[in-house]
Amino acid sequence: MLKIILPTMMLMPLTWMSKPNMIWINTTTYSLLISLISLSFLNQLNDNCMNLSLLFFTDSLSAPLLALTTWLLPLMLMASQLHLSKEPLTRKKLYITMLISLQLFLIMTFTATELIMFYILFEATLVPTLIIITRWGNQTERLNAGMYFLFYTLVGSLPLLVALLFIQNNMGTLNFLMLQLLTQPMLNSWSNTLLWLACIMAFMVKMPLYGLHLWLPKAHVEAPIAGSMVLAAVLLKLGGYGMMRITMMLNPLTNSMAYPFMILSLWGMIMTSSICLRQTDLKSLIAYSSVSHMALVIMAILIQTPWSYMGATALMIAHGLTSSMLFCLANSNYERTHSRTMILARGLQVLLPLMAAWWLLASLTNLALPPTINLIGELFVVMASFSWSNITIIMTGTNIIITALYSLYMLTTTQRGKYTHHVKNIKPSFTRENALMALHLIPLLLLSLNPKIILGPIY
Amino acid sequence: MLRRALPLGVGRGLLGRGLGTHRGGSTLGKVEGSGGYRGSWVAPVSSYVTFRTRDPAHDGKTVGRLGEGDQNGKVSEIKKKIQSVLPGGAWNPPYDTSYLPPEHSDVVIVGGGVIGLSVAYWLKRLEKPRGAVRVLVVERDHTEYLAVVDDPPLDIQFNPSGYLLLASEKGAAVMESNVKMQRQEGAKVCLMSPEQLRNKFPWINTEGVALASYGMECEGWFDPWCLLQGLRRKVQSMGVLFCHGEVTRFVSSSSHTETTSGEEVTLKRIHEVHVKIDRSLEYQPVECALVINAAGAWSGRIAELAGVGKGPPGTLQGTKLPVERRKRYVYLWHCPQGPGLETPFVVDASGAYFRREGLGNNYLGGCSPTEEEEPDPGNLEVDHDFFQDKVWPPLAQRVPAFETLKVRSAWAGYYDYNTFDQNGVVGPHPLVVNMYFATGFSGHGLQQAPAVGRAVAEMVLDGHFQTINLSPFHFSRFYLGEKVQEHNII
Repeated sequence: MLKIILPTMMLMPLTWMSKPNMIWINTTTYSLLISLISLSFLNQLNDNCMNLSLLFFTDSLSAPLLALTTWLLPLMLMASQLHLSKEPLTRKKLYITMLISLQLFLIMTFTATELIMFYILFEATLVPTLIIITRWGNQTERLNAGMYFLFYTLVGSLPLLVALLFIQNNMGTLNFLMLQLLTQPMLNSWSNTLLWLACIMAFMVKMPLYGLHLWLPKAHVEAPIAGSMVLAAVLLKLGGYGMMRITMMLNPLTNSMAYPFMILSLWGMIMTSSICLRQTDLKSLIAYSSVSHMALVIMAILIQTPWSYMGATALMIAHGLTSSMLFCLANSNYERTHSRTMILARGLQVLLPLMAAWWLLASLTNLALPPTINLIGELFVVMASFSWSNITIIMTGTNIIITALYSLYMLTTTQRGKYTHHVKNIKPSFTRENALMALHLIPLLLLSLNPKIILGPIY
Repeated sequence: MLRRALPLGVGRGLLGRGLGTHRGGSTLGKVEGSGGYRGSWVAPVSSYVTFRTRDPAHDGKTVGRLGEGDQNGKVSEIKKKIQSVLPGGAWNPPYDTSYLPPEHSDVVIVGGGVIGLSVAYWLKRLEKPRGAVRVLVVERDHTEYLAVVDDPPLDIQFNPSGYLLLASEKGAAVMESNVKMQRQEGAKVCLMSPEQLRNKFPWINTEGVALASYGMECEGWFDPWCLLQGLRRKVQSMGVLFCHGEVTRFVSSSSHTETTSGEEVTLKRIHEVHVKIDRSLEYQPVECALVINAAGAWSGRIAELAGVGKGPPGTLQGTKLPVERRKRYVYLWHCPQGPGLETPFVVDASGAYFRREGLGNNYLGGCSPTEEEEPDPGNLEVDHDFFQDKVWPPLAQRVPAFETLKVRSAWAGYYDYNTFDQNGVVGPHPLVVNMYFATGFSGHGLQQAPAVGRAVAEMVLDGHFQTINLSPFHFSRFYLGEKVQEHNII
């Protein structure tokens, strides 16, 4: 594990001591190398987890998420180059330092053994993200967005701290591997209910669950591109990952306590997908689609069957790559027209044909086209929820239809039709942007050839 | 709906406005004032229109009597107080920034006169999903345009007395063809011979008049001030942001491309508009997707700021926007024996015009000076000798009763005079790709405002004109030399 953590930590002196025209090249290259190292973790030998040290471990659930996190850092750096080009040098380096420290915390969160360490790093990821959103965001609303983001997550996770300390007192340890062996069934009582809620709410806010999702559109829209990418791709998965770990301790209470959250997720899926159909702001549309996809993940984790766990893991990875790619595409639009309104930049297929190809592929993966891993994830979750209760098929089916609707709506509004007069002289696609899209899409398509690496520990 | 939740103290409900849909409301120190979309459908300004504005505090009911108006003020004040006390309001920066324009706006309209407001209105009215386009109107702080306290339903005081245009022998043929064209479009106009004129309007001296055209239905004059105020309030309720400031700079980027015939052109794109706040050095850069030049008499200057006309003369790059400001006078006089209450707006063949103003035998009129006698547009002082020499004689000759009159007052104003062909410029500039023009109407801006606003909004949102094709008014005619002349202009 140190072979990843130390190089990531050393990326920071790298940025500060690089020559001004080499900061981007250095950081991007080295972070790509680090991500290649993390790919070695994907080779999980057996059901049991790979214990790397007393503090860190990976298993088939955290390894794909780790790979996703490390893969995303070079992509974030590539995406941020244009909008930071006008800033003074120190601020550029500061921005990169924020990204690197966020990366560091995320790597350690996904591989933490001790749950308190997980919690501390979980909270620590909020700080660089908040700084990125409020300092480098575009509009004045970013201050509001930052406050929302910070306080929603903090308030949700404070009970988690109390719960974890209580469990530590009771069990004597919070080492995840030990807990697996030491857990006793959690029976139905008031205090157990409160404990269950305390453990889960932090992750529900993070996912986010439908009723607690108000921070997400604000944070995603106001954040700069790297902030949006990391938020959508990784930070949301922190919630999913945490829920999957912690529900191991919360049985059998979960069977009864899960109902309100299941209902909220089912309803929320349809609601947020429908909101997407009415969105005029491109980034806002993608943000709401994130909520919709994550609602499926929440449902899957609460059902707790082997198929649903596989679906949840696959969906997390797939959504991470897809959502990040959509944000990059939206950003390439924004950098050209300085507006996020969809109808003001239409008909781009004629002007930027290669970018239209990326748009098409991203929209297709967003609507879960076979044989991508998006489909595998969604299908597994829908089947598991159908077996949990037959009626959910109506809602999940409606959600799939509406997802297809808004993905295609987004595609046709931005790409098809006659272009408006004022986008005639936009700059053609940069190689950097095309490389960015390719680097998002290639893992996504390759994984559809070998999805078992991302199907999680149950496979 | 969210505001009704306010007295219940639902904290989050206050902030949940819009749920991610980006509306025009900025959070810079403003409390929720400009409300959501009330969707009140207002008929396009054609002949007789009553503007009904919805007071956001009243939530759908039209404000009627004065007593109710007081209560509305109190209710909104109480609401504002509660909002400021409850936690979780929008971010309030330590200093007051409500006078600053937002940092980003999709469309920036330079000029908040009737054309600019009309464009804003139609942009908001025609945008397909509601709340799609963020519009900012930048207006220099002229005392005329200061907003007044809320008034109940707007009445623009339309006087349907019609226009009477008189033509001499020379202009008779042109007038006939004009009337024929107007009749084809559905206007109810009649042609009158001198005898018919004398029968209908006994106070006219028909010497030298060969033909007259008289509009019989839905034609007349209205109060432009009322229209402006009504538009302003309506547009604000639709979510358009206003700011008092002056546009001082455009930050743009250029790219060199080749046309299909091989010649090199430089295409420009405006990225930011620097808006300077009045009476201060402070300016706010507003990032925008497109700019609409509706600055009226000053649109030539705005165009220059954007780089229109910077190039060798005779090329498209070097073609400037030929709109400059010209001073025109309007005089108000009293004539006790003057024509009666059914006096139409009379336009004499010589170019002098007058109309009835009010019910006390007051008349309002003026004349366009010829090119040689153009007054100096540096100030807005009225030249009374102009009335004595140029306006009074033809009017007195046409209406003998006007030989005795007393000038009560006079004022001067600017025409955004298009020196090329005295007709408007509508549409995008071919080289500065995201600047649209809606200016140069040379005194006809008021009557053409609704149509022009709609046309520009259609151009922005759809990419082409839909209702009326205004492509003859494109900027490129200045380069190509094709004049769009209108006959019988005042």
